[in-house]
Amino acid sequence: MKLIILMIWKEFLHLRNDKLSIKLMIFPVIAQVFIMGYALTTDVKHTPVTVLDNSQSLSSRSLISSIRANELFDFKPESSSFNEVRDRIDRGDVRLGMIIPKNFENDLKNGTGANIQIVIDGQDANSSNVSSGYLNAIVNLWGSTYLKKQAELMGKDIDVLIPVKVNPVILFNPLLKSSWYMVPALVVLLITMVTSLLTGLSIVKEKEKGTLEQLMVTPVKPIHLILGKTIPYLLIGFVELCIFIVLVLLWFGIPFKGSFFVLLLFAAIYMMSSLGIGILTSTIARTPQQVLFLIWFVLIFFILLSGFFIPVENMPQWVQNITIINPVKFFMFAVRELCLKGTSLNDMLPQLYNLAIIGIVVFFASVLSFHRRVS
Amino acid sequence: MIRRIVAIIIKEFRHIMRDWQTLMIILLMPVLMMFLYGYALTMDLVEVPVIIVDPAMSDEVRTISGGIDATTLFNVIGIERRSDDPVALLKKHHAKLLVRFGPAFAKDLRSESGGADVQVLIDGADANTGTILRNAIGPMITKAALDILKLDMPKAITVHPRVLYNPQQRSALYFVPGLMAIILLMISAMLTSLTITREKELGTLEQLFVSPLKPREIIIGKILPYLLIAAIDGVLIMIVGRYFFGITIAGNAVLLAGASAIYIFTSLAMGLFISTAASNQQSAMMIVLPVTMLPTIILSGFIFPISSMPAVLQYITYVVPATYFLEIIRGIVLKGVGFAILMKPIVVLLAIGLLLVIVSIKRFRVKL
Repeated sequence: MKLIILMIWKEFLHLRNDKLSIKLMIFPVIAQVFIMGYALTTDVKHTPVTVLDNSQSLSSRSLISSIRANELFDFKPESSSFNEVRDRIDRGDVRLGMIIPKNFENDLKNGTGANIQIVIDGQDANSSNVSSGYLNAIVNLWGSTYLKKQAELMGKDIDVLIPVKVNPVILFNPLLKSSWYMVPALVVLLITMVTSLLTGLSIVKEKEKGTLEQLMVTPVKPIHLILGKTIPYLLIGFVELCIFIVLVLLWFGIPFKGSFFVLLLFAAIYMMSSLGIGILTSTIARTPQQVLFLIWFVLIFFILLSGFFIPVENMPQWVQNITIINPVKFFMFAVRELCLKGTSLNDMLPQLYNLAIIGIVVFFASVLSFHRRVS
Repeated sequence: MIRRIVAIIIKEFRHIMRDWQTLMIILLMPVLMMFLYGYALTMDLVEVPVIIVDPAMSDEVRTISGGIDATTLFNVIGIERRSDDPVALLKKHHAKLLVRFGPAFAKDLRSESGGADVQVLIDGADANTGTILRNAIGPMITKAALDILKLDMPKAITVHPRVLYNPQQRSALYFVPGLMAIILLMISAMLTSLTITREKELGTLEQLFVSPLKPREIIIGKILPYLLIAAIDGVLIMIVGRYFFGITIAGNAVLLAGASAIYIFTSLAMGLFISTAASNQQSAMMIVLPVTMLPTIILSGFIFPISSMPAVLQYITYVVPATYFLEIIRGIVLKGVGFAILMKPIVVLLAIGLLLVIVSIKRFRVKL
């Protein structure tokens, strides 16, 4: 026990003088919070739009001004021909073009219903889907207001004619801000970086300098060594987790509805996997540079398949089956659930068990392979 | 001179074959990335789980729920009679959407005054999914209810959308060409900076400099192999894109090749520049990841739309070469536009590359 504490103490002394590790502890925090926190947004805002108004009537001007007033769109100068609309989309000047036909006002007035065409730059399926949905909603709102006014002029109430009223309530993230979904997930990346990279680097450095062999001839056993190499980073992981939860969630105004102890429990179990990955890479790699590379390589795939920005449910079934071995996925799920929904531990037991099984397997595999290497 | 350059090229290829790390970047990474972005990472929502609550268990609701279930977007996983706590019900079934009809829905639907209220609960945690579901569910229920009454909705305006460039709205069409920007950068910038700093670290760079080889022969000899590999990988991506994901080049393939060459040149220049700043492989790696890879993935519009970012970050995207290359490659592959429209990004890309080369040559001289 005393040996372990000494090893941990030694590790902290090392850390104090290690510029690379200190950079690795500080840089990701800044980069993730201030760049990723703002850049990783799936919101579709400020879509540049142009209008071709062939009608030039009171109604068409009124419709256009309702789009102009909407913050979701950046209203660019109007076009004067269809070819111009098409050309501007080709050039990337606008991503949406709305074409109002000549007989727009007549069709509205005589009750046959008007038609308008929108031309969409469909390259990015998601953005174009969402932005054309917004435009559709604005046009429909304008249309029903128009109908209502017409009916009122004739002394009728149009609301009676509509048989259903659908009232959507958005749960958990009422303003549908993507930062509420993305920012909590960043803490997972942060903890993963700190724990796996720093552990891996610290072991490889001792290997490089030959001090690992020196330690082996002292009464320190491999298990002491592993605990001495992992516990400090586990502690640092916890500290960063707490700082992150308090400061970053406050900064972005994101709620934390769940239990903090459940979060710590998930974090502790998750770190078995991430620390295990750090130890495993250190047994394969020979230089710190190789550790950096290997962990970066592995993490890319874990993160892409974790549901970080693309939901796992969207993926083909067989890919979803693969993600069952991805610890990042389960921890990220838990963090998001705890922040936004306040889900209880009971409802997340399957995820907890999954994470625990992965953690135990990875950690013991790494201890075994480390053992084999040093002896 | 040519013979000496060839000798260095052969030496460099031997290095590449011996180093598993380089081989992983050249062979494994592109294959895995293509597979992931082509098949796995799709933004298309399908079969979102929906719970229906209908205390009366009426035929009308069954018809509407059948209509919802029949779409590819939704999948009705159950119709419940009671809902004391709808939020808990939603959570319990891991549904994203709960549609709750009133006990007298069938009667209200046909009443002369007013109409039936339908409450929809949407799991909005993932804002993107929530937005799409909110936009889709309202019109769907209204339409189904009108069909039951055999009514036509009084509608002032019908919108006819026409989707250009990617009419089937497949994510792969957007991601796979974009992947070129990342893979080419990784090979050109990361590998060159690593190979040059490795020679620095081992001291072999100085040995090369005292040999009869001229500095420019060394640089050319070290860079050409990676240019070649990057070009081959680029062609491979387009071939795989063509035969596995059905991505055809709508525009001019020669223009694409030329623009890719400029992008590779700019990336190599970045690699060169980093190798003048870093003294060993570890610090090269530490610079490459945050300075080149991270901005290329996050701040280039590869996945996350630039127009949605705050203004400060939008300014940063202007200095990321991949921003321009993505505009070019998507312009040529998806839109089929020509040089006249793409001149600006091509010129900017070239200018960034030239600037970096000039600066790194200056720094190289100072050091020696």
